[in-house]
Amino acid sequence: MTATWVSVLASYLHLLAAAVYVGGSVAMELVVRPAQRFVPPAQAQVIGQRAADRFLVLVWSALALFPISGILLFFSLGDQHTLAGGRIFTTSYGQTLLAMMLLWVVLVINGAIITFVFRPRLLERASARAGGRAASEHVEALQSAARWVSYITRADLAIALFIVLLGASMAYGHGLF
Amino acid sequence: MRLAAIFVTTLGWATYLGGVLVMEMVWRPLQADLPPAQTGVLCQQMGVRYRWLALSALLAAGAAWTTLQLTSSYALATRQWQTILGLSSLALLAALVIAMGAFVHPLSHQRSRSGSSPEERGELRSRRVRAIAIMNIMLRAELAIALLATLIVAWPAHTLTAGGIR
Repeated sequence: MTATWVSVLASYLHLLAAAVYVGGSVAMELVVRPAQRFVPPAQAQVIGQRAADRFLVLVWSALALFPISGILLFFSLGDQHTLAGGRIFTTSYGQTLLAMMLLWVVLVINGAIITFVFRPRLLERASARAGGRAASEHVEALQSAARWVSYITRADLAIALFIVLLGASMAYGHGLF
Repeated sequence: MRLAAIFVTTLGWATYLGGVLVMEMVWRPLQADLPPAQTGVLCQQMGVRYRWLALSALLAAGAAWTTLQLTSSYALATRQWQTILGLSSLALLAALVIAMGAFVHPLSHQRSRSGSSPEERGELRSRRVRAIAIMNIMLRAELAIALLATLIVAWPAHTLTAGGIR
């Protein structure tokens, strides 16, 4: 009975984490970002930064919740035997699980790159004493960072969609491979 | 077929719930720091986009989930309450999104006509305030129902093990 409730709770949290990551990214991409075109650029930049700051908190919470709820779900379903004796490499279920974990690592690395490399660059302000050339270099650096954040975010969304497919194949079948 | 149905259900539901959470946890707190005029413009633009995204996601999730329930004799035989509750929740959420999009949201952005009297303007303003208050209540109700419905969607997990339903 306890295992049942733990698996329901774990499944709930896993789905919630997927909703925050996938659905949140879709909403940011299709709802929040396009709407910013309707306000002046300077204000749009501030809105974009604040929205991204808040969304990053949600993203990291979801990324932390994935392995916790996943491990809880795995053990509460009594699936340990399915991966015993190196079967994680030889069975379709094991390979699917392995692919999911590796892709989660990719999402964490990409998240870290956005949070610790590109976000600080985007928040950097040009020095008041900088000349015209330095100012234009600063704008160029900002645009480049924003472009990279956009590329990585879209790649992350594609990866997350594939993870959902892997998860669906594990929940109702033998895995995807 | 079943994999596609599960994939679309999960994706549709995740897209819908993620949208609700972003509106509640990203957009709503952001409004406090913005000038009212820009809040109005952004709210109007996002409202229209969000309405279509939420409705499409709900429709996709509902259709795929119904297909899954109908094609799974196990689910229908043992979990009728879940099917009924799940579909009722989806219908309720769709009704809330439609009601907000078609009636309450446009009301909260109504502008007074040029040449209208101060009384008319005052009445319109109080109508807008009322609409915003109703909208806030509906959004919270939507989030609460969506989180409860997620429990219904997540429920079958304990009947499943690696390799399918036993």
